[in-house]
Amino acid sequence: MTELKESMQKAHARLKKRRAAEKRFKMFGVGALAFAFLCVLMLFTSIISNGYTGFKQSYIQLDVVMDETVVDPDGSRDPAKMMFSNYNALVKTALKTKFPDVTNRRDKRKLYGLISSSAGYDLRDMVLDDPSIIGTTQTVWVMASDEVDMLIKGVFDRTQPESTRPITNDEIAWVETLEKENRVEKRFNTNFFTAGDSREPEQAGIQGALVGSALTMLVTLALSFPLGVMAAIYLEEFAPKNKFTYLVEVNINNLAAVPSIVFGLLGLAIFLNLFGMPRSAPVAGGMVLALMTLPTIIIAARAALKSIPPSIMEAAIGVGASKMQAVFHHQLPLALPGILTGTIIGMAQALGETAPLLMIGMVAFIADVPSTPFDPATVLPVQVYLWADSPERAFVEKTSAAIMVLLGFLITMNALAVLLRKKLERRW
Amino acid sequence: MQTTIFTFTVLLLALIGFYMGRARAVSSVGGDIRQLHSLPRHYGYYVSLWCGLPTLFLFILWFIFEPQIINSLVLHNVTAINDETSSAMVARILSDIKFIAANGTNVKSATPEMIAAADHYLELKKIGIACLGVAVLAFAIVGLVIGNKNIGEKLKARDQVEKAIRVLLLASSIVAILTTIGIVSSLLFEAIRFFGKVPLSEFLFGLEWSPQIALRKDQVASQGSFGAVPIFAGTMLISFIAMCVAVPVGLLSAIYMSEYATPKVRGLGKPILEILAGIPTVVYGFFAALVVAPTIRNIGEGWGLEVASESALAAGLVMGIMIIPFVSSLSDDVIRAVPQALRDGSYALGGTKSETVLQVILPAALPGIVGGIMLAISRAIGETMIVVMAAGLSANLTANPLQAVTTATVQMVTLLVGDQEFDSPKTLAAFALGLVLFCVTLCLNVIALRVVAKYREKYD
Amino acid sequence: MKPMTKDNAVDIEKELNLSNGNVSKGVNSVKLSQDEVKISAKDVRVKYGEKEALFGINLDMPKGKVTSFIGPSGCGKSTFLRCLNRMNDTIDGCSVTGQIIVDEVDILSKQVDTVLLRAKIGMVFQKPNPFPKSIYDNVAYGPRLHGLATDKNELDEIVEISLEKVGLLKEVKDRLLEPGTGLSGGQQQRLCIARAIAVDPEILLMDEPCSALDPIATAKIEELIDELRGSYTIVIVTHSMQQAARVSQQTAFFHLGNLVEYGETEKIFTSPVDERTKGYITGRFG
Repeated sequence: MTELKESMQKAHARLKKRRAAEKRFKMFGVGALAFAFLCVLMLFTSIISNGYTGFKQSYIQLDVVMDETVVDPDGSRDPAKMMFSNYNALVKTALKTKFPDVTNRRDKRKLYGLISSSAGYDLRDMVLDDPSIIGTTQTVWVMASDEVDMLIKGVFDRTQPESTRPITNDEIAWVETLEKENRVEKRFNTNFFTAGDSREPEQAGIQGALVGSALTMLVTLALSFPLGVMAAIYLEEFAPKNKFTYLVEVNINNLAAVPSIVFGLLGLAIFLNLFGMPRSAPVAGGMVLALMTLPTIIIAARAALKSIPPSIMEAAIGVGASKMQAVFHHQLPLALPGILTGTIIGMAQALGETAPLLMIGMVAFIADVPSTPFDPATVLPVQVYLWADSPERAFVEKTSAAIMVLLGFLITMNALAVLLRKKLERRW
Repeated sequence: MQTTIFTFTVLLLALIGFYMGRARAVSSVGGDIRQLHSLPRHYGYYVSLWCGLPTLFLFILWFIFEPQIINSLVLHNVTAINDETSSAMVARILSDIKFIAANGTNVKSATPEMIAAADHYLELKKIGIACLGVAVLAFAIVGLVIGNKNIGEKLKARDQVEKAIRVLLLASSIVAILTTIGIVSSLLFEAIRFFGKVPLSEFLFGLEWSPQIALRKDQVASQGSFGAVPIFAGTMLISFIAMCVAVPVGLLSAIYMSEYATPKVRGLGKPILEILAGIPTVVYGFFAALVVAPTIRNIGEGWGLEVASESALAAGLVMGIMIIPFVSSLSDDVIRAVPQALRDGSYALGGTKSETVLQVILPAALPGIVGGIMLAISRAIGETMIVVMAAGLSANLTANPLQAVTTATVQMVTLLVGDQEFDSPKTLAAFALGLVLFCVTLCLNVIALRVVAKYREKYD
Repeated sequence: MKPMTKDNAVDIEKELNLSNGNVSKGVNSVKLSQDEVKISAKDVRVKYGEKEALFGINLDMPKGKVTSFIGPSGCGKSTFLRCLNRMNDTIDGCSVTGQIIVDEVDILSKQVDTVLLRAKIGMVFQKPNPFPKSIYDNVAYGPRLHGLATDKNELDEIVEISLEKVGLLKEVKDRLLEPGTGLSGGQQQRLCIARAIAVDPEILLMDEPCSALDPIATAKIEELIDELRGSYTIVIVTHSMQQAARVSQQTAFFHLGNLVEYGETEKIFTSPVDERTKGYITGRFG
């Protein structure tokens, strides 16, 4: 090989350093991506590891004597009267007979605390269903209280010293006795999906929040979709190029970046205080979220309309259609998949939104499941927020489980949007 | 209930109008529809619109003004209210009256005067509904008749209908403007009331923030202090920490994905970032409070540092994670917009990839990236749930990321949640903070969007 | 999809040639001695994914002279040019096989560092692509990358000499610190040439360097190419046959991924051997 030129020699000398810098830089990139991946991984593992137990609930088997003197003291078998009998006393008696050594008042209270306060309602329903069981001894499975549930699921460590765990040695001993007799069972937690909110973790469920979310989303969709599409059609197809149109466009772009909590203030000041709409109601929440989602839908719909080649419009106008007809007969149907994709993504955002709803009072504790958009309600993300704020350890599990449900919905919606885009989108 | 019936009646009338209009148009030309200017159904739409549109307007006006008119009429007769009664008091009396009207007279607040007012209220409601019914029916029928009368061979029904639709489309696009006007006016209105009670200079420059509620009613003037500096400082501290995480990670991952990654890695990396982007903020907040904050505290204590359980670092870190995909997708767009010719130019001179990125692509993309970062900052200071769940409540003026600080959004939430008293500086302060937040984010957004748009023009 | 093998690539090649009625395998009338050859391509094939773009090019380019590639668009001339400094490496899914020998080294081999290679083989592109930096920084970019100057004075010197060589120094002397994007199109292209020669390359590749310029700017660039000949081995892709005739000593005619004819420029334009060359030159197609 011939002698290298001087410049090539210089370049050669630097090469090693430059290649090292190149490698370093590339590693930074890999590191950044790995960090993002690690975050996703940590987030999901922490949520799932905390939450998957939430879909199970511990039950305890008791032999309950359906004592007539408690259930139906005057023997009338009148359901209206039997509604209000003290069924919890039956549970207590059953526990007392199971553990006769417990005599001390404080210990007794602890003992009764093994069972959820909902057990009384279960017994009441059994009796009202079939009054003939009065006087007999029934073997029933009743819900364990949240602390016992945590113990059974292993969240509370039994080996730790008594002072550092929220459950006493006595309680552990009782539960272990029951476990030995196969009187403890973990079942699928249907209650979690069929109950409203509750102060007792084991009784709390997400149905109220789910229905609230559904009603809110319904209002949001009903408002933001037509308004968004119509606004997009106007801006894309009909608006003259003037100052006013420019103002509207700038305005929409800026609204898309306004912090969501500000929309909450708008809802509070205008919808609640000025228009006198009901507080905590899905109708107000839905309207606030609709205003928030509107820019997203308008921007997506405009992009979808823009992607339709002008030749289609020209063809329609060429055969004598008015511009309006050309838009509604050709442009809009062709742009619809794109618009729907944008709408689904906007709705997914709205479904996960919390802050503006706090402002309009959707954080109240509401145990009932709402039935109309005008009832007080809460939504899934707000439920997550409420539970996350509760001190009981069992609510950590509920919160994580509710998050899993929420993420499930969001992932489904986003997957649907991706699918729709892949399936229906046309390349021109 | 009645309004639903009215709605259906109007819809029914509109439907009838459609068929009437169509039939009349067809018969006006003796069945030869080729002589008509428009298709027969356009004449139907025409009559329907005449029937429905004015009625719709009436409905909207009624919904907006009915409550106010009735309220003022009801309160007019209540002697407990004079010019000096605070608006909070008025609101309470009003809600008491409505409560009595809804639940009967067996309530504590039911004095004879209140019961009379409640009766008055119910009566007015009834009259209001009746008026609405009559007006709606009249409007619909008159509209139907006028529409029908106008139909003839010469009527350009299609043009008229399209004009109406166009107005409707225009109206929809104005909703966005109305929203902005609503935001600005509500924030301004309440903030001005706030600054009537607390001087602007105290709010902007005061170093003490403790908005306690007065215990007695007459304490209004002496309650709490509203110096927002610690809040602004806290907001900036947390946003700064967030940007320290989000900008390098987001930018580097965007660079890696657009310049280095094989299609396979890109196919893997994009969904990861999209997942991060799709997670609701309340989930991040829970993650911050449950996992990140205790971890940081443990690590800090391991080093002998004093770490607050709601440290700014934890909230900022998680907020940064939340913003990573935002920064990365904006930078990705911007980097992709840099023409391939510039890359080629650098490679052809013997530049390595990193040299090309750092010395050619990034400088070229700088305005776009700066714009993107500004949008990200605006997002960080407006973010609510993460800080509500993971940052502190007390307003400390500190730059130590291991201590708890509070932010504007946290204060807005704590001041407004659960409190219905709408006159105290405490609730109004939330609107003042909201106004500041809105102005700052608006400025950032306007500038950023302009910068990005300019940048795009350059390479389009 | 059936993987593309060498065999059926040849099939396709035949088919393509057949469609033009002439099945000759490239006419090469340039005979160079070992010493004269600077770049020697042997059976260079390029594939974009599954699609073949070049079907085995054999071509020797002489030292210190101008070789031009002509042919209709999509014929592979630019693709081949980009092989000569491995620019195709930057395109995903592009694979190059065969050998390109420059100074006894096969530059297509994996051991060759593209960074050094490109310092040795500069390139000028179709559209002027000055970096959004000052004129000075544009020219200094390459020398800085490769560490060619030890201090500021040396760098100044390199920049000045390079600008002088392309005849730009006089025009921009007072505004070296203004952005390079502010120059006119022709000036920008000359700036890009200055940028390329600032790294002291031995070979200059030019990919249709005048196609985005007006006739006056084009004339200037052509003049410049003529001046640079001798110090550099120049390979130029051009769309314009007149340009090829004006600036180059050798001309290669590409068609549909094949080298159809290669010879002294004068000979190609006056008495082409291949029917397709004749057709293209007389303007019957292309």
